[in-house]
Amino acid sequence: MEFPTDLKYQATHEWVKIEGDIATVGISDHAQDQLGEIVFVELPDTGVLEKGAVAANVESSKAVGEVVMPVSGEVTAVNENLEDEPEKVNSSPYGEGWIFKIKMSNPSEADSLLDVAAYQATL
Amino acid sequence: MTETNIRKTTLSKMHEKLGAKMVNFEDWYMPVKFEGVIEDHTWTREHAGIFDISHMTEFMLEGPDCIPFLKHMMTNSVGIGDFAAQYQHMCYPNGTVVDDLYIYRESAEKVRIIANAQTLETDGKDFNWLKEHIGDYKVNITDLSLERTRFAFQGPETLKLLNPITDTDLSQIKRFRWCYTNLIVNSEKIPIFCSRTGYSGEDDWSDSLASFEISCKNKYATKVYQIFLDTGAKPIGLGARDSLRLECCYALYGNDINNEITTIEANLGWVVKEKEGIKFIGQEILLKQKSEGPYKVSVGLNLLDKGILRAGYRIISLGGKDIGHITSGTFAPTLNKTVGLALINSEYKAIGSELDVLIRGKKKRAVIVKTPFYTRGKKN
Repeated sequence: MEFPTDLKYQATHEWVKIEGDIATVGISDHAQDQLGEIVFVELPDTGVLEKGAVAANVESSKAVGEVVMPVSGEVTAVNENLEDEPEKVNSSPYGEGWIFKIKMSNPSEADSLLDVAAYQATL
Repeated sequence: MTETNIRKTTLSKMHEKLGAKMVNFEDWYMPVKFEGVIEDHTWTREHAGIFDISHMTEFMLEGPDCIPFLKHMMTNSVGIGDFAAQYQHMCYPNGTVVDDLYIYRESAEKVRIIANAQTLETDGKDFNWLKEHIGDYKVNITDLSLERTRFAFQGPETLKLLNPITDTDLSQIKRFRWCYTNLIVNSEKIPIFCSRTGYSGEDDWSDSLASFEISCKNKYATKVYQIFLDTGAKPIGLGARDSLRLECCYALYGNDINNEITTIEANLGWVVKEKEGIKFIGQEILLKQKSEGPYKVSVGLNLLDKGILRAGYRIISLGGKDIGHITSGTFAPTLNKTVGLALINSEYKAIGSELDVLIRGKKKRAVIVKTPFYTRGKKN
């Protein structure tokens, strides 16, 4: 199982890539493996959401996984390709399986996210 | 697994070795998937799969009153011959369901029952219900559940794979018939109970496509599993067992039928038959609902908007009224769409009518469609 070291993580299994004031969010390799084959991704509506809010839902044939906002901000982009190819979350969780992007309203919130070692310690 | 009381089947270790993802299902340690739910599902539709269904229960009834006793306990006719099988509901006096099960008649004095798994909390439910009602009937009931291992061998290649290793020509076994036979491996004979029944919808009455359910003594279980796998059939998890059955609209106890839903409400009126001279438990209400139509009824849904239907989601009429709930839902791999069964107010049951399903607070449009969603060789 792969956990890139240049990403931040939440204990609820989201990964976050910080580039300037933009945060890209997806679910970790562990999360996709636990859920099994993803058959539907409910993407967020664009708009402002607080850290901790449920932004998206990832559904496998047996379970629903919530994708929780790791930082507050405006959802500026969603990965519309997942509407037709939700399985990309399984095959490429850190690449083509990204879910949405946030323009952070309070970038310092990112400091409290987990680094890879801290995240792996939660598994 | 942290649960201390979780029960294991004789095959658990082999499932682990085969790479299954194991979960706690009804307090049983069971494989939910091997390759993946969708891969398992598709493999079974196209080839043949082996399912461990040992968590289910198995009883033997013996005695001169077997048939009248069963006619009293069960909703269906029981009017079958020796070596035939029949789907049954066992109901409470109010017509809701104790369990759904199969009876397998060996003679008028010997009938096997295979019924659903029970949780630790409900353990013994069917057995005790039967036992409590024996009264003056001359019937003895034995619980074979823990001394036997049960398999389902399902899919279009089943007969081709299974027939060469049994000493009965299984192509001669008609649908809903069963036999005792032996698996022959290296001149060793392993006795099995072998029934042409199933829960996958891959047996369409044509004798080249027979699928089977099998039971054997525990001491043979791991050997039998290995023999089955050696034929080229793949092990299949409970995840696919659920999506396969739901595509065919086979009811799942606990979801589509339970102690709050009657057999008629579940749209299974064909399982309710009046019997000459013997009243069955639940007869009054079930026959009334059958002739007058029930207040609520099970319907099949296709979700038109994107999403997945799941048990418990509320159904809202286009006029805004809460009219029922989803009892089972899944992404249907063979149909590549989202399907579900819903129990709704009968006024709204017309095929083609649209309604909304409330998914996480949002209305998603669905349409009532004909059931089953899938019959072998045909997709609705």
